[in-house]
Amino acid sequence: MRESVLLMLPIVLPVLAGLLLLLLPEWKNRKALCAFVGAVLCITGTLVFANIAAVSEESPGFILFWLTKTLPVYFRPDTMGKIFMSAVTVVWVLAGFFSFEYMKHQRKEKRYYGFYLIVYGVLAALGFSGNLITFYFFYELMTLTTLPLVLHTQTKEAVMAGLKYLFYSLSGAYMVLFGVYFLNRYGDTLTFGGGGVLNQSLVSGHEQLLLVAAMLMITGFGVKAGMFPFHAWLTAAHPEAPAPASAVLSGIIVKCGVLGILRVVYDLFGADFLRGTWVQKTWLVITLLTVFMGSMMAYREKLLKRRLAYSTISQVSYILFGLAVMEPEALTGALLHTVCHAFTKCGLFLAAGAIIYKTGKTKVDELRGIGKEMPVTMWCYTILSLTLIGIPPTGGVLSKWYLCIGSLSGNIPVFSWLGPVILLISALLTAGYLLPLTIQGFLPGEDYDYTTLKKKEPAWIMVVPLVILTVLAAGMGLFPVTPLQ
Amino acid sequence: MNKLMLLAVILLPVIGGGIAALIPFKNRKYRNIFLELLVLAVSAMVWWLLFHRPEEVFRVVHFTGDLSIDLKLDGLGMVFAGLISALWPLATLYSFEYMKKERHERVFFLFYTVTYGVTLGIALAGNLMTMYFFYELLTLVTVPLVMHTLSREAVLASRKYLYYSLGGAAFAFIGLIFMIVYGSSIDFIYGGVLDAAKIGERGGILLLIYVMAFMGFGVKAAVCPFNSWLPQAGVAPTPVTALLHAVAVVKSGAFAIMRITYYSFGTDFLRGTWAQKAVMAVVIFTIVYGCSRAVKETHLKRRLAYSTISNLSYILFGVVIMTPLGLAGALSHMIFHAVMKICSFFCAGAVIHKTGRNYVHELNGLGKTMPATFGIFTVSALGLMGVPGLAGFISKWNLAAAAVESGDTLAYFGIGALLISALLTAVYMLTIVIRAFFPGRDFDYKTLEGTADPGWQMLLPLGIFCFFICLFGIYSEPCVSFIIKVAQGLW
Repeated sequence: MRESVLLMLPIVLPVLAGLLLLLLPEWKNRKALCAFVGAVLCITGTLVFANIAAVSEESPGFILFWLTKTLPVYFRPDTMGKIFMSAVTVVWVLAGFFSFEYMKHQRKEKRYYGFYLIVYGVLAALGFSGNLITFYFFYELMTLTTLPLVLHTQTKEAVMAGLKYLFYSLSGAYMVLFGVYFLNRYGDTLTFGGGGVLNQSLVSGHEQLLLVAAMLMITGFGVKAGMFPFHAWLTAAHPEAPAPASAVLSGIIVKCGVLGILRVVYDLFGADFLRGTWVQKTWLVITLLTVFMGSMMAYREKLLKRRLAYSTISQVSYILFGLAVMEPEALTGALLHTVCHAFTKCGLFLAAGAIIYKTGKTKVDELRGIGKEMPVTMWCYTILSLTLIGIPPTGGVLSKWYLCIGSLSGNIPVFSWLGPVILLISALLTAGYLLPLTIQGFLPGEDYDYTTLKKKEPAWIMVVPLVILTVLAAGMGLFPVTPLQ
Repeated sequence: MNKLMLLAVILLPVIGGGIAALIPFKNRKYRNIFLELLVLAVSAMVWWLLFHRPEEVFRVVHFTGDLSIDLKLDGLGMVFAGLISALWPLATLYSFEYMKKERHERVFFLFYTVTYGVTLGIALAGNLMTMYFFYELLTLVTVPLVMHTLSREAVLASRKYLYYSLGGAAFAFIGLIFMIVYGSSIDFIYGGVLDAAKIGERGGILLLIYVMAFMGFGVKAAVCPFNSWLPQAGVAPTPVTALLHAVAVVKSGAFAIMRITYYSFGTDFLRGTWAQKAVMAVVIFTIVYGCSRAVKETHLKRRLAYSTISNLSYILFGVVIMTPLGLAGALSHMIFHAVMKICSFFCAGAVIHKTGRNYVHELNGLGKTMPATFGIFTVSALGLMGVPGLAGFISKWNLAAAAVESGDTLAYFGIGALLISALLTAVYMLTIVIRAFFPGRDFDYKTLEGTADPGWQMLLPLGIFCFFICLFGIYSEPCVSFIIKVAQGLW
């Protein structure tokens, strides 16, 4: 009983607080608003970690209510959920504090914070959900409640980007739903945590049907994870959303797709069912294509935030590649990269946000000498870039190491060596598209006019979250805690 | 006594509506109170009947041989009668405020109330002949409602509606004749009444007749290609479009198809034949066609009408799966869609009533001045999309589960069509929501001055529908398990 209350609190509290913000009239005192949001974020964060610490693996979970006679809304924090939720909490709270400064000059701040809190609660439900129906339930809610964050500025482009995001996500969700219908028929249960729920006697004779369902579900969740050919919403939505929103979009929301695929492949269909089938091969081709294409497009892109969005497309497919290989080491690598990329990309977007906030410049070419003006921000940017490229001793190297080892130890013809090669080429491209900003920023060149330089370091409330994220991302490589066994 | 009640609930609205038109009420308010009490009384009687169901058939008139007017309340009829009687009082309450601005209120309420009785007649019909009788009557009493404004479009629309419906009924009549010849009786008996000895070698002809009867009744259920009357009939006042063209009339068509499929021809006779494949293909096409047209349409009420076309075919899709589960899915979507669509139509009506705006692009920013209306509209839109936690998810789940269970490849495509349609639903509904709440950075709210949420007579029904959309979404157990029993022929 006590456990179930503890489990409900981090879900209900932010949702209620968010609804309260939406319904209340405009607050006069901006400081009070920020204090309220900050307090809710911190309390919820504490509650999430309390859950992670207190709820054991053997916990029976908690059924909130029944959608129909056979479909319970069921919560049970397991290892995957706990890893996911720790990443979510760190990113969400830090990006929240960052936005207190960033959103100062935006209109309708209250609405932004309202939805920001609601999404946090929905994500907590998503992370702790114990079966596929619950997961799907909150997955759709997550799409709908993040929409106002994307189109917050309400310019024409932002609204169009929001619609694109919405319709891409929904079509993904409906592909998933198609698979859910079939899993419900051919599986014993939709509960996570067994390593495969398919009922062999029902399945025999319908294998191809279920493989199609599996492919659709992977593709459907892949839409959120920016998998080719459904990646276009990312590059539309990221530049239009406010920087802290794009930070959480890239850091967390796309990872929900990853979590969905993880659940579907490892908890429901079971890796054994898919290993060696055409589904695995197709999926591997798509992920490698996305890794390469994302990096190439990022390399060509001039707009900083859109460049980072392409980078997300590429990096998330690293994770998906790790999942598609279906080897234990690769899975470890994928999980590590999920966390590492969440911190890194969130940090990079916050850095980009700080630059845009202080200078108003959005293109990479305009940012010569930025390192002299905003040294702390740019140092964080540089270290985060190195993490993403995977240069020792940062966190990125560790996850990529596991990904490559896993791929090589698998015995999938061609892909076992092709995968690592493409990952390395992509790492090179990553260096190519992230480091020019550092080089221009710190070494603007001989002809640069140093007299126009002004100190533009943003307020501490923007810098501190950025520094924390940098320390976490880089530190993961130095202290490889391995709770991933 | 119970048996007489069956006839009473049909006659009371017919007579009462007539009386209300004849009495020269001094005040509009008194007439409204009289009508509302009348409708409430009928609904109370219907619900009393649902719980004290008369087992036997009530024979009202006996013509000759098999032909008679029989009333009987069986499971399927209970679902439809319950649905109709729950919605009618709320819709009547809504129309009091809405019709203030329209002319000829007296005629409107006369036919509006009479239609209630006739629709109940379809629900309570005990044999094919009786159902056919009330079905034709329904067409005739609803024509004046479509024609209400007497504008040129309204007259054209009602003429089209009349021709389409009568034409469809003619095809259905052929089905009736064949049932008289080849059936053991024309009563509704779960599992069908076809007499194998009489059919002999003529099974093929009967399948053709089934398809004809399906398409004939399908005209009212707006099956493609006989759907164009429905969007055009949207010129009628909103209470008519909402209650009749989203629920009572169109669902009578779906209900009649359920009757002939499960209670006359019988699913054992039809399942697996080319006839099933043919009607399923038509239905799947209509699902996608309806919502594609809805996306393209910019007139708010017509957009919702196209959405109805698509959703009616969801129901028919459940019917033509031809298993008890399929019928259960169809019945649950019949109920849930009724609540959701009447809710969204009433929101549209509230907008038209308060602002006079008819087109989607005129709705920018209204979410701020009419928050309750658009809040409820959002809920109904999400429900129609099938977001989990709202009613639409449950009924779509039942439909899809039945389709998966049937193991038919064509039915798998049907699931695909349901999901494509869900996406298109999101497109045509959520664009309205986003326009209303996020009109754009430079939107000038001064243009919306004078617009506000409507009065309680409109908001109360909206609130109740919204509540039920949420309630069915998270707690539908008693309702769904009753429906499943009905679909298995246990009631």
